[in-house]
Amino acid sequence: MHGSALVLGGGVAGIQSSLDLANKGIKVYLVEKEPSIGGVMALLDKTFPTNDCSICILAPKMNECFAHSNIEVMTYSELTSLEGEAPNFQVTILKKARFIDEKKCTGCGDCTQKCPTKVPNKYNMNLDERKAIYLPFPQSVPRIMTIDKELCLKFTKDKCGNCSKVCKAKAIDYEQKDEEIVLQVGAVVVASGFEIYKPIEMFEYGYGKYPNVRTAIEYERLICASGPTEGNLLVEPNGEHPSQIGFIQCVGSRDFRRKNPYCSSVCCMYATKEAMLAREHYEDIEAYIFYTDLRAVGKNFQQYVDRAKKDYDIKYIRARPGQIVENPDTNKLTIWYDDLINPNVQSLEVDMVVLCTALMPSTTANRIGEILGIELDDNGFFRAKDLLGDPVSSTRDGIFIAGYCAGPKDIPESVTQASGASARASEVIAQAGG
Amino acid sequence: MDNMFKPRIIAFCCNWCSYAGADLAGVSRFQYPPNARIIRVMCSGRVEPRFVFRAFEKGADGVIVTGCHIGDCHYISGNKKAEERMKLVRYLIGILGLEEDRFRLEWISASEGQKFAHVMTAFINKIKELGPNPMFGKIEEGTECQQ
Amino acid sequence: MSTEQEQPRIGVSVCHCGTNIGGFLDVPAVAEYVKTLPYVIYSEHNLYTCADDGLTSIKNAIKEHDLNRIIVASCTPRTHAPLFQYTCESAGLNPYLFEFVNIREQCSWVHMKEKEEATLKAKDLIRMGVARANLLEPQTEKRVDVISKALVIGGGVAGMSASLSLADQGFQIYLIEKEEELGGMVRKYYKLTPSNIDALEFIDNMVNKIKIRENIKIYKSSIVKDVRGYIGNFKVTIEGKSNENLEVGTIILATGAQEFKPNGFYEYGQDERIVTTIELENKMRIKELDGVINVIMIQCVGSREERIPYCSRICCMTAIKNAIYLKKEFDISVNILHNEIRVYGDYYEALYRKAQEIGVHFNKFGENDKPKVLKENGTLNVEIFNEGLGRIEKYPADLIVVSTPMVNISDAESLSKMLKVPLGQDRFFFEAHVKLRPLDFATDGIFLCGAAHAPATIPEVITQGYGAASRAAIPLASGYVQVEAITSHVEEAKCRGCGRCVEVCEYKALELAELENGRRVSRTNEVLCKGCGTCVATCCNGAISMMHYTSEQINAMIDAALSEKVGGGIVG
Repeated sequence: MHGSALVLGGGVAGIQSSLDLANKGIKVYLVEKEPSIGGVMALLDKTFPTNDCSICILAPKMNECFAHSNIEVMTYSELTSLEGEAPNFQVTILKKARFIDEKKCTGCGDCTQKCPTKVPNKYNMNLDERKAIYLPFPQSVPRIMTIDKELCLKFTKDKCGNCSKVCKAKAIDYEQKDEEIVLQVGAVVVASGFEIYKPIEMFEYGYGKYPNVRTAIEYERLICASGPTEGNLLVEPNGEHPSQIGFIQCVGSRDFRRKNPYCSSVCCMYATKEAMLAREHYEDIEAYIFYTDLRAVGKNFQQYVDRAKKDYDIKYIRARPGQIVENPDTNKLTIWYDDLINPNVQSLEVDMVVLCTALMPSTTANRIGEILGIELDDNGFFRAKDLLGDPVSSTRDGIFIAGYCAGPKDIPESVTQASGASARASEVIAQAGG
Repeated sequence: MDNMFKPRIIAFCCNWCSYAGADLAGVSRFQYPPNARIIRVMCSGRVEPRFVFRAFEKGADGVIVTGCHIGDCHYISGNKKAEERMKLVRYLIGILGLEEDRFRLEWISASEGQKFAHVMTAFINKIKELGPNPMFGKIEEGTECQQ
Repeated sequence: MSTEQEQPRIGVSVCHCGTNIGGFLDVPAVAEYVKTLPYVIYSEHNLYTCADDGLTSIKNAIKEHDLNRIIVASCTPRTHAPLFQYTCESAGLNPYLFEFVNIREQCSWVHMKEKEEATLKAKDLIRMGVARANLLEPQTEKRVDVISKALVIGGGVAGMSASLSLADQGFQIYLIEKEEELGGMVRKYYKLTPSNIDALEFIDNMVNKIKIRENIKIYKSSIVKDVRGYIGNFKVTIEGKSNENLEVGTIILATGAQEFKPNGFYEYGQDERIVTTIELENKMRIKELDGVINVIMIQCVGSREERIPYCSRICCMTAIKNAIYLKKEFDISVNILHNEIRVYGDYYEALYRKAQEIGVHFNKFGENDKPKVLKENGTLNVEIFNEGLGRIEKYPADLIVVSTPMVNISDAESLSKMLKVPLGQDRFFFEAHVKLRPLDFATDGIFLCGAAHAPATIPEVITQGYGAASRAAIPLASGYVQVEAITSHVEEAKCRGCGRCVEVCEYKALELAELENGRRVSRTNEVLCKGCGTCVATCCNGAISMMHYTSEQINAMIDAALSEKVGGGIVG
């Protein structure tokens, strides 16, 4: 096949879509707003139900994408307009200045070492720091530095310039400007992913107030060997590993009054995985999962949960905790809950609480929807043309949807939908004579 | 029996089933003793009898050949050929003065990580029971299968 | 084959894989040890060899140290060999001069509490890899043309979706359905959410789309009898109204699933008032619900138990959908007895809420305390320990619907053998990789979609159908596949022409040829050869060698494994 396609979003769904299209001979422009492709999967430690190391299985795909002769990976870039109709779209991409000459940078990291400005590290959920000139994470693709303009001394105070001095490749370019690139494409696949809910407004759980209350994605970084603590779980006040961890499900999801009414679909399983990982790291840890309905519906999921109960001795408590109270002297946390099986109010003291928070549509979804002229549903996910019969088509011809941006789903379902969206996009391109 | 005896095991695994089963044992973190050295071959049918004899000659205390279950062979019937051939191997090592149990043929699928760990553990324990290869240094070079 | 080999210059990269390897064995010590091995010029260790910096480091080492062999000791060749081979190739090294040593899945992860032993084992394994690498030779891969047609097995919603997409991508499709009509399992349903469309109307719409595609040929009442060949060139025999031989480049398996018949559960089969979900769907279709006032649905009958341990994914949603129709269209009261309601995502969660709002009852029983059906004076009652209320409750029923799991079709075993694709422990077809290759089989050119993979909803099945169509279209669109260079080769001087290799080859890749002097020798057809090596092991004269897996290489690995006492050790 010939012709070209635009893929929006460089997470696992966007990567799969791009590879499928490119392997058929279609030219793919893969646009990612962050400096590296990889998406949220690159942040995860392991994946259920096989406990495969997440980055281990993703990194080869990221590299394959970048090396593919039919794929142009455009990171740190955003879609700004779309005109025309399928199969003759004209799109404009804003390629933001990273103040680095991409052709010269080798990613050696000398500049990072000499950069004096430390800023919160977004990749590690702000649990540690990075420099103002940085690679988002060790396996970043492409391996090209980016300068954080908002924080770099050269831009804020016209001082420093260390990176430019140490760069042997002469790749630093403070004068670099944003660039607008206009492309012709036959079809578009939207795989813009999701956002993770920060439960700041749920005061009863004390997130942000109690140091030992974490969100699941923070936990994921903490338990990961390449994370801020090199895989060590540490709790206040003594920096020791916790003896008891409580995982709380449905934080911000299946919540009809305040937050999202839908089920995020993956939390039961990732909590099970995270509890297993805790037990693998520290044999003596007791792990409790507070859940409402355990949605172990995927292939081999029930067997995974059975194994968690039997071989890992993880305790599942059917309850939606009402409140968490911290003992200010010990930083220990008391979870108060109404047990749904033995109905009465009970409490459990733990060293650490992990809030399994909702996954929500990306904050960019609204804008992408406006630019592309495609509809969103009541929850803010991209609406399928026909939820029953055509789940990969958006409400506009030639534009297809894949991954979590089209509704809650796990990694294999995202990969599946990504291939599905590619198939439909290929149809449009093939019928246009491509 | 000497408790310090650490058997040396050569394991031939076919690429499609048993090697993948060994990988799954790893992914699932099923633990087994560290005595086996895996050699990957495309099919259990690739394993020449002389590989087994060579391993014993060079001092292996046990040799195990693993393949896809009968009927599941990626190459239709390579494992059946292996089965026929390995019966003969078992018989011949007996003639050489080695216990037949030092050799084993097992079928392990790509989804049987647990079985892989079990089989390895059981085989290694069996070899520990049998003790070191008594023929090490005594088998004449060039002993081969003439089918 | 080169007779004069250049002196090996080996580079080794040992991977920490974060702590996946580094946490359980002493990687720096292993990398240091490797330097002492013959022909090893260069050794390094990386946090992640597969990351861009690890790959760059390999490329640089090849250039700087003039390396002609590369060894990576890390995870498994089954996932990562292509990446490293590609890296070697891009640095100008033939990819067959790359050797993979597995020290994660087969070492660090299985010996997590024996750091010293695991370290020794890793050293042994790399020493074996070095021994083989010394003897590796460059190989070239052949390209084989692909027949740009595909076969779709199964004409349900999955197979029809796959066929439509493949046809619209421009390829000729053969669609095989064993029943008289297309539509599969969905034909047995009443109405479908979210559009409340009649299931038959939904199927008819799809069938009509299929019918107008000139490049889809449908074979109804037909089954696949035999499959031969390989990616790009499958030869398929189908049996039906007429027997035909088809040639296709790729195959999609979309054979669906069936409802588990709960014989032996309650009084199913003896009391007509106990029916399965699909039997209820039929009752709704033919309006055979006169006199029914109370329906009780029992979830997880047969599933999440010893024999069928999995959750069948769709039963909660199907029960809720049917409860809403029973309530709204038939004015029947419905009570769903469940252990937990496993609806997920946005739409089904909303449907669950809607059912509650319109008065469908939900009552929870214990995980290991399944409901009892009691017959009292001919009246049916269902008794559970209601966990929400904390007491035993009894509910009268005019009709009991048992929600049973989906199980694979009865000819799954024979299809599995015919196509050489595996079944998992749940007896569903087993994909190449659970996370990242959900639609592929490990066997090239064969793909999977729909309930043959695992129970799934209709939109999920359609998505999978499209997805499999994308995967199956790739070889068809490129027009060729690269065939691996691992094939057998007969050394004619050693061959005595006995023909035993010809007998054992399942692929008919070997044949006897007569030389000019009248001597008979065997020869390999490299395109047909799949590289199993059975012929090599069969040859008593040692006349056949297997490219890339030569006897010399394997012997060298055996010798290396046993050459030093650093590893498993011997009598202590």
